[in-house]
Amino acid sequence: MMDISDLIKSISLFKPETTLIVTFMLAMILDMAFKKSKNIAGYIAIAGLVIAGIFLFQQTGVNYKAFANLLVIDSFGQFMKFIVLMSSLIIIVFSFFSNELHNAHTKLGEYYTLIIGMTFGMFLLVGSANLIMIYVAIETMSISSYVLAGYTREVKRASEASLKYVIFGAVSSGIMIYGISILFGLTGSLNLFEINQFLSVNNVATLPLLLSGLMILSGFGYKISAVPFHFWTPDVYEGAPVTITAYLSVASKAAGFAVLLRFFKTGLLDSVPGTSEAWQLLGNIDWHYVIAVLAVLTMTLGNLVAVWQTNMKRLLAYSSIAHAGYLLMAVSVMNDNGVSAVLIYFVFYMLMNLGAFFVVQLIANKLDSENIDEYNGLGYRSPVLAVCMTVFLISLAGLPPTSGFIGKLYVFSSVINSGYIWLAIIGVLNSVVSLYYYAKIIRNMYLRDVESAKTKLVFSPVTIAIVLMLAIPSLLFGVYFTPIVEWANYSMNIFVGN
Amino acid sequence: MTQDVVLPLSILTLLIPLLSFLINIFFGKKLGKISGVIGTSILGIDLGLAIIVAFTKLTSYAGIQVIQNRIEWFDLGSLQVNIGIGIDNIAAIMLIVVTLISFLVHLFSTVYMGDDRQYSKFFAYLGLFTFSMLGIVIANNFLIMYIFWELVGISSYLLIGFWYEKDSASNAGKKAFITNRIGDLGFFIGIMILFFTYGSFMFEDVFAGISSGVMPFDNPTMLTIAGICIFMGAIGKSAQFPLHVWLPDAMEGPTPVSALIHAATMVAAGVYLVAKVFAMFTADALTFIAVIGTITAFISATIALTQVDFKKVLAYSTVSQLGFMIMSLGVGGYTNGFFHLVTHAWFKAALFLAAGSVIHAMHQAMHHMHDHHTDPQDINNMGGLRKTMPWTYRTFLFVTLALSGIPLTSGFLSKDGILAGTLAYANLTGGWHWIIPVLGFTAAGMTAFYMFRLTIVAFHGEPKTEIAKHTKENKLPIVLPLVVLAFMSLWIFYSPNPIDASKGWFHKMIVQPKSAVPDAYQWSFLINNKTEEAAPAVHQAEGATHTAEITAENPHEVTKAGHTTGHYLNKFQEETHHFHYIAMILSLLIAGSGILLAFLIYQYKTISADKLEARFKFLHTFSYNKWYFDELYQATAINGLLVISKALSWFDNYVVDGLVNLSSYVTRGFGYIVGLFDNYVIDGAVNLVANFTGYCGNKMRKLQTGHIQSYVVFVLLGILILLYFFI
Amino acid sequence: MISEFGIILLYFILGFVFVGIALVAAYFIRPSHPNAIKNSTYECGEIPIGEPWVRFNVRFYVIALIFLLFDVEVVFLLPWAIVFKGLGWFAFIEMIIFVVILLVGFAYVWGKGDLDWERPKPYIAKLSDLVIGKKKQ
Repeated sequence: MMDISDLIKSISLFKPETTLIVTFMLAMILDMAFKKSKNIAGYIAIAGLVIAGIFLFQQTGVNYKAFANLLVIDSFGQFMKFIVLMSSLIIIVFSFFSNELHNAHTKLGEYYTLIIGMTFGMFLLVGSANLIMIYVAIETMSISSYVLAGYTREVKRASEASLKYVIFGAVSSGIMIYGISILFGLTGSLNLFEINQFLSVNNVATLPLLLSGLMILSGFGYKISAVPFHFWTPDVYEGAPVTITAYLSVASKAAGFAVLLRFFKTGLLDSVPGTSEAWQLLGNIDWHYVIAVLAVLTMTLGNLVAVWQTNMKRLLAYSSIAHAGYLLMAVSVMNDNGVSAVLIYFVFYMLMNLGAFFVVQLIANKLDSENIDEYNGLGYRSPVLAVCMTVFLISLAGLPPTSGFIGKLYVFSSVINSGYIWLAIIGVLNSVVSLYYYAKIIRNMYLRDVESAKTKLVFSPVTIAIVLMLAIPSLLFGVYFTPIVEWANYSMNIFVGN
Repeated sequence: MTQDVVLPLSILTLLIPLLSFLINIFFGKKLGKISGVIGTSILGIDLGLAIIVAFTKLTSYAGIQVIQNRIEWFDLGSLQVNIGIGIDNIAAIMLIVVTLISFLVHLFSTVYMGDDRQYSKFFAYLGLFTFSMLGIVIANNFLIMYIFWELVGISSYLLIGFWYEKDSASNAGKKAFITNRIGDLGFFIGIMILFFTYGSFMFEDVFAGISSGVMPFDNPTMLTIAGICIFMGAIGKSAQFPLHVWLPDAMEGPTPVSALIHAATMVAAGVYLVAKVFAMFTADALTFIAVIGTITAFISATIALTQVDFKKVLAYSTVSQLGFMIMSLGVGGYTNGFFHLVTHAWFKAALFLAAGSVIHAMHQAMHHMHDHHTDPQDINNMGGLRKTMPWTYRTFLFVTLALSGIPLTSGFLSKDGILAGTLAYANLTGGWHWIIPVLGFTAAGMTAFYMFRLTIVAFHGEPKTEIAKHTKENKLPIVLPLVVLAFMSLWIFYSPNPIDASKGWFHKMIVQPKSAVPDAYQWSFLINNKTEEAAPAVHQAEGATHTAEITAENPHEVTKAGHTTGHYLNKFQEETHHFHYIAMILSLLIAGSGILLAFLIYQYKTISADKLEARFKFLHTFSYNKWYFDELYQATAINGLLVISKALSWFDNYVVDGLVNLSSYVTRGFGYIVGLFDNYVIDGAVNLVANFTGYCGNKMRKLQTGHIQSYVVFVLLGILILLYFFI
Repeated sequence: MISEFGIILLYFILGFVFVGIALVAAYFIRPSHPNAIKNSTYECGEIPIGEPWVRFNVRFYVIALIFLLFDVEVVFLLPWAIVFKGLGWFAFIEMIIFVVILLVGFAYVWGKGDLDWERPKPYIAKLSDLVIGKKKQ
């Protein structure tokens, strides 16, 4: 039963989310009130996110089950919320420079508002410890993202993307809620803690548990675009505005991984807090193996298909599928090292992936195309941009001395430490394949059409500064990464109750 | 100012020269002549900062051995790498030495390099060099030190080969770089041995590990070897025997570079390194260091006697003086060795800048007279410059006195200390170690001789050429640094007593660190074993009051510093004090006779130089040809390598190739079959893998039909397949 | 031994079988005399006009969605009203916040003109649409 003191404490810990709701409403109203200003909602959104970030920071060290176990406030959630928050902020800044959005006939007020709405949904998802809460949170973020994907509605492919996204999302969440109902039927509870309790005491039939698990995974898998739930990804990524593509590839994925980890750790695994040994599995199902197989499928498909892509957004879409595969690899080891590796990876992934997408956006602003051939000779047309893009791509490929290398290093070391050598080998082979298509872009930038008298591309200093602000940390964290590792190690314990 | 501010300020001091480098390298062309002004003013600011840092450390926090931090660079479970920076007293003093000389050299260069077409690039390189050098100074671990060590190597390569159109300059750059690499290899091996043993790059961790008795490979000899390996780095950078050959060649660089790099900073880095890690050297390693230093001091002094190139004389003199410093550290005279580094930095930089001033004036005169063949650096083309360049002459004369070790100069104080130290060492150890002071005193005498030879031939007498007659005194930016540096060579900066430095602030600040080496492997006389009670007892004979004074005045300071209280930390220092007056009188006699001899031969021509030369023909040629070191290396190391590679090539061509050819006939037929196999089976397999990968990708791509209906079907199928798979 | 889920599966199978048997049996038993009137759509006795698959104006959906939202508001308000006395100020403030949020939404909908019933201006396709359409292969 929920008593009033729990409620009051919960509300006080709900401050970041509350801030987001207030921001959401303010942005909506003020955007209507100031019809002339196109970006006012964006400024309010930035302010709101900053304040939410401050509230979030205040929650350092808090471990609490809020709202009668609906939500969990813990340092793991705080880390993931920071990732979500940072990417939302960066995306809003990106949006200020998007021709694609500004040429659209609609106002941008709702666009920024919906980003806040989506952030709110992801905050809930990261913290939820109840299956219904998970469902509601996924829907909150999904509905916002459907609209955002089709925001430039005059563009045909955006509308198409949005529609596909809606239908696919509906099917996935349908499957997920069916899985939830089966799990509820099996254990008699929607609360992850109680499910865990039940499973550790009683024996349940394997087939329905596996079926429900896979079905719930389809809901998460769709958010993180894991094979075989990834089909929406390339179409939506290609059709949506670049900013939203970038947003989906980082923030949604972060929220998806957060809930995936929490679901397994809190719900299905008997874990002793604070040990780095593998978590004990409940219910006779080898979830390591299930996730490992998903990881292999995901990264292999992502990398192999990415090789063939000629559209940058599509290429990065498949690349982001591949990265989901690497991350799933770290999830599959199911111990604290794996969690820490996921967290470390996400910080670096956020920097490099957002950076790469921003470069794509800037090029598309100038050339109105995302074709890979447009990058020919970019090294001479805009040297700074090309250098930064090279940094991002090398980082994505996971080569030293970039932060991407460090991320992969921790992922692989967690996999190898747990004894899954075969998985690590497949991961390394995949990295080799990925090198091919990343290097192809670099080759285009520096070795193709070098002599052709193409005009120089001039970008405003502010945009160059933003690219540098993402590229320099990408390099810097490749050399000095201890703070991130320490932060991740501090945050890796998922709160599972006393 | 609090202690916390020292480190950020010193990082700022480190980074500011880098700013000069960046500005000048990127915007140099646009800036033109302004780049010199920018570089100089940036260094001026840097000098101010360095002075603030150094004064704070030396006044407020003199008692704290080192203000440092430690940052975990990365942590990979078992492997933890910490780095950081630290300011101790020697670092504080070095900060001033480096920035002040760099500043003066910048100022000097604005005129000296005025006509150069790579003007701004020169200042960029100077900035880079200063940055790297400061990095060495403030490092508190081997890793950072090694990184900056290599950076110094690179930037000195750039500066020595600055006039890269000249073959000799670019060759000298290469020679300096490669010779340094040989030393650095040893340095690197030494660092690796220490890291492997003690698991850290931090000086304090290594020292703590050594004093806790842990030995590399459980073998005390390995500690000696590690020490010698580290010292290898110093041999390279500080141009010690047998790697001293690069320094005279490096004189091909612009003269301000010689003043900055080859007098005061880069070459001092080796000595600084030895001082910094002094605590880790065993008795055997110290002996090795002392012997190397002595040999260097002696050999290069003899070479300097006969050189005719103005800068070459100074170069060999530098090598010789560096040998003195290393020798002093090797015998245990830590304080005096470092003291000589500092005093020498000022007057040697002054000597080089004066040389630059002379060469610049000669150049101007040659230009004036449309003469392009005379060597402006040959002292036999000079003479009589005393009249035409009075300020250069005065400063040059004064710093020559300092280098020769005449009282009232700083050089007297430091050189006297070193020589007393060698006497004390020889007395305490006995046996063949007496060679060290003997060679030391001889070298000191020769120093006085060749310096006065240089002064007399270049400045006194009648002009030997028309060019020398037409030289003029240079502008203020060239003369001012000379005056400043000469002024800095006065004794008063270091000690109120012009004949004894031990009461000066310098000796109070620079206290020999406690050796980390276990007593069994260290000289007994270097172990700091004097307690407070024992000190006055030992001291009663001479100056007991003095001891009491010190301990009574600031006992806290001394105890705070973590040193054993008492005036003399160990028997060596006590012994050095004993020999102080003997050494002083001896060295004055020897230096005086050196000077006298120089005057007799070159000024008054009482003794004919030519006759001497003829009589000691063999010795003269030997010295003039620099002991044939270059030829020796050419004959042994370089030609040896060539011979070996030729032999290998012959072996390869006739023996191996013969065998290969023979077998090739046999295998050719077989190879044809294998070739077929290779082309169709192996290559086929490789291509198959590649094509298969591509094919798979292409096939998987086909799944992406674009139809949402089929996607949904695939998802459901996917779940069913997974379910079937896992059940 | 059949678990609870086994029983559900049995029900599934039985259900399918039952419906299947009924349909198959009807197919065999029923007389088959189709005519135009029999095949026409049943519209409560009225004669159907035009195609049954007409497009509804999208406005209907918008209005329906908005109606649904405010309908749910009432659903929440009802149980709150019943226990309001027992909960006191706390519940009152909570509900005020809830209503204010909904009012903001209402204001937004109103301000955006989604409650006005006017014919939307048709969007005229531009050349740029075609260009982007062409690029997609």
